Amino acid sequence: MGINMKKVGGVIVSHGQVANELLSAAENVVGGLSHITAVSIGWHDDVEIAKEEIARAIKHVSQGVGVLLMTDMFGGTPTNISAMFLKENEVEIVTGVNLPMVIKLASHTGDTTLSELAKDVEEQGKQAIYRTGALLEPQKIKKDA
Amino acid sequence: MLEGNVRVINPLGLHARAAAQLVKLANRFSSKIIVKRLDNQTNAYANSILGLLALAASTGTTLHLRVEGQDEQLAFEAVEDIFSKGFGEI
Repeated sequence: MGINMKKVGGVIVSHGQVANELLSAAENVVGGLSHITAVSIGWHDDVEIAKEEIARAIKHVSQGVGVLLMTDMFGGTPTNISAMFLKENEVEIVTGVNLPMVIKLASHTGDTTLSELAKDVEEQGKQAIYRTGALLEPQKIKKDA
Repeated sequence: MLEGNVRVINPLGLHARAAAQLVKLANRFSSKIIVKRLDNQTNAYANSILGLLALAASTGTTLHLRVEGQDEQLAFEAVEDIFSKGFGEI
């Protein structure tokens, strides 16, 4: 990983304070993240204001190799506003953001393109969901036997 | 290539912050470090935080280390050390 290698930026966009808190949790795990920022859209915020905030955030984290927007829920306002920024090779969106997805974006090394990274983050988000009880079930059977 | 077992002894197991410490440590070496659970063969690279978390290694779990590369001796010792110190949590 080259020190000067440019990284894909990230913006977490959510209703309420979820975005800020997700970013702060990820920073507690992996350390400071200068290439990721958060936009929390208030429940009563004006769409135009929210749009401007997202535009500013994208500009802030962009290093010239694309920005990934991670939104809380498909169909929600944060996603719908974010969708206005979709642009091939410049801005991608992955919905349903969770902590593993933020950590995935945080720990990418800078040698992946925006679209590859968007796919990786989507995949990671899905794979990181476990029904934890199911992991223990085989052991339970063994104990009973 | 060096191989050996380590035990997770810190009470919280290999949780997020402990895994992050291991990733940071692993990144200091050029050697490839693979951590494997002996009971179900799940494995992860020591420089992948999400891989390490997926091991779900709680306290008491024995993990198998495989270290391969130019600085394998130093890397192996450093990883062994951080496990034996319980990631500074005990």
